[in-house]
Amino acid sequence: MSSTVTENPTTGPSAEESAHPIHPSHTPSGTIRLGVFYQGVNSTTVWKAPESGDQVAWESFERLITTAERGLFSAFFLGEGLRLREHRGVPLEFDVAGRPDAQTLLAALASITENIGLVATQNTTYNDPVDLARRFQSLDLLSDGRAAWNIVTTDNAWTGENFRRGGYIDHSERYVHAEAFVDVAKKIWRGEDVDHAGNHYHVRAGGKLPRSRQGEPVLFQAGISPEGRDFAARTADVIFSPFGDLERAIDFRHDIVERTLAAGRSADEVRIYPGAEFALAPTEAEAQDKLHWLRENQVGPEQAIALLEQYWGRDLSEFDPDGPLPDVKPEVSESGVTRGAGFQFKKAEELTREWREEAAEKGLSILEFARSRQGSRGSTFAGSYDGVADRLAEYARYGAVDGLNITPWLVPGGLDDIVDELVPRLQERGVYPTEYTGSTLRENLGLPPLD
Amino acid sequence: MSTPPVLTLDLPSAPSALPTLRELAPALDAAGLGGLSVSGDAEAGDLHPIHVASHLAPLTRALAVLVRTDAIDVEPFHLATQLMSLDHISHGRAGWLVEARSDDAAAQAVGREALDDAAREQEAADVLAASRLLWDSWTDDAVVRDISTGVFVDAARLQYADFEGQSFSVKGPSITPRSPQGQLPVLVADADRQSVGAAVAEQGADGRAIDVRVDVEATAQDIAGAVREALGAATAQQADAPGRTPRVVRLIGLVEAGAEAETAAPAALAARLADAAAQLRADDLIAPAPASGASLRDQLGLPRPEVTIDPARRSDRARTSPEETAA
Repeated sequence: MSSTVTENPTTGPSAEESAHPIHPSHTPSGTIRLGVFYQGVNSTTVWKAPESGDQVAWESFERLITTAERGLFSAFFLGEGLRLREHRGVPLEFDVAGRPDAQTLLAALASITENIGLVATQNTTYNDPVDLARRFQSLDLLSDGRAAWNIVTTDNAWTGENFRRGGYIDHSERYVHAEAFVDVAKKIWRGEDVDHAGNHYHVRAGGKLPRSRQGEPVLFQAGISPEGRDFAARTADVIFSPFGDLERAIDFRHDIVERTLAAGRSADEVRIYPGAEFALAPTEAEAQDKLHWLRENQVGPEQAIALLEQYWGRDLSEFDPDGPLPDVKPEVSESGVTRGAGFQFKKAEELTREWREEAAEKGLSILEFARSRQGSRGSTFAGSYDGVADRLAEYARYGAVDGLNITPWLVPGGLDDIVDELVPRLQERGVYPTEYTGSTLRENLGLPPLD
Repeated sequence: MSTPPVLTLDLPSAPSALPTLRELAPALDAAGLGGLSVSGDAEAGDLHPIHVASHLAPLTRALAVLVRTDAIDVEPFHLATQLMSLDHISHGRAGWLVEARSDDAAAQAVGREALDDAAREQEAADVLAASRLLWDSWTDDAVVRDISTGVFVDAARLQYADFEGQSFSVKGPSITPRSPQGQLPVLVADADRQSVGAAVAEQGADGRAIDVRVDVEATAQDIAGAVREALGAATAQQADAPGRTPRVVRLIGLVEAGAEAETAAPAALAARLADAAAQLRADDLIAPAPASGASLRDQLGLPRPEVTIDPARRSDRARTSPEETAA
């Protein structure tokens, strides 16, 4: 399911169909916007490049957000760190790691920017709802109405070892808990008194802070399970989806519109911003060379072996990264050995067999196979500046997405070519804003004002 | 005591004070003041003081950015990394004035109960101890970026906190790499001395912040006089406990929340403070104006501590002693 988007697409509706919206209740805006997702911990960021800078230095963030704001980006988006990722019981050594606390950093970035949205990922398990709501409201007031919360759920006890309540939430309960948590936060934002007794704690508090110019923080959500989609349709203003290739983006938009209507909201109240990675160059051939270089530097032999060990559940260091996939059975059935990476597979035996077959069929080594997986969760837009601008103009016409959330592969210079080369071409095509339309995040996302 | 204390101005984190704070912080920085401290109470409708301190940090270059914030009704892991982040953002100018609040309102807001004096003091000591372990959970050179081995961060240069307190435990390591100062200076303001308890105030902390209250209209002469008087009294009281060493003077009352009309214009207030500081510096009663790029530890004359990796907590222990891997 590689989703690398190249030019001359063969998928998606034809040009004649493009006049019609994806769903009768959805109105395409005709534009596409950009955001930046600074994960801080991932294999996307190439630290081996000579121009790769410090992952936590203030100057790195200053340059990234200043560039993003120059490019009229909607939002600057940070991940949340709860525990360092581990591989086989030891902190994972091969990827970038280490990041500041998201809201503390955004509060600082608010004082050097004026229009860009400031989004913090924060989970509903290892934060306290009243405290978190007040923090977000503080950020919203400090930024004069530019704060947003990317709501995530977490339930594993391994992460809980860093927190007071430990692993107290069952996986099946996570969205019920999250929804109650968000209700508490909204009451705090609206200045109401809260007296909430859930399954795990009882909180009593009052909303004390004034409302910001956008009313209250914008809500982002990224769950893609059916429960996650329904939760987003009921609650979120923006969905951060993994479906960036056009066909899947269209399917996802259709599904979300249906769910949003079923939740009693207007279809245009929920924005969709898939994650994306860009490999841009003046020509298509140069862009493909760049993508190849990128994959080589994102996934080295050590990471390729570690990726497989995650699913095989055993030491695979005796296998040659340039050789075929291991012909041994996996040793885990329930949980992988890289913790905090997000994905654990239950059917390891089935999965590893499929992978062996796929790699053998395509003649891929361990290293080549691991590189082919890189970027498969989001979408990689590799191409010439003009080619990618044409592709994105097509997204805008369909209204498949409202924007793309870019993870730059280079810190801090990874947005430069996007802002200097791609953005002007999108503006020439009339599908990208030429100025910030408002000064709050809610306004710049085109969301309806709150009551 | 070789290094005289750093003169700081206490700022309220009330939303109504924000426009004043944004003008005042750079004016204080330009005036050569030693630092600012941000205080706030969520139950009273203030912005989070860590957020406000962080917001003001990029507007300043040399002065210290202290935050007076609670150690009780918090997640210790989050608090420790938030303070480290403030230190990264301010290039080593951050400090923590430990507070220990435990009243019904603060406790109920996080689903807990108010603690009695002994439990509150224990909790404050535990949260400080856990923070210090997390601050030292990466060596300064843990990010090795070794292209030949593909290693970005060396797990042998990380260590777990493995902290077990009375009411919580924290595994670690920190998600944030070690900050510029390594350990943030931890101080206890006179206002919080009683509530944090002796263990923190006299052993856990690096020193005392002397609170000096002055009137909102105090002249430079009044301010210098009040500081002189307070320092004289402190010298007379000072004992051997490290926590009693006066490290900071905290001026309270010059910027009052909700009384903007009575607070002087930022430029005028900064000028008054510069004048008061000059009078005090003439007698070596407070530290000199900080140089751009100086850390708070530099201003305080505190050496930057090294990290010692404890072999039992080294984060590659599962690899070096395989019997633990199975656990």
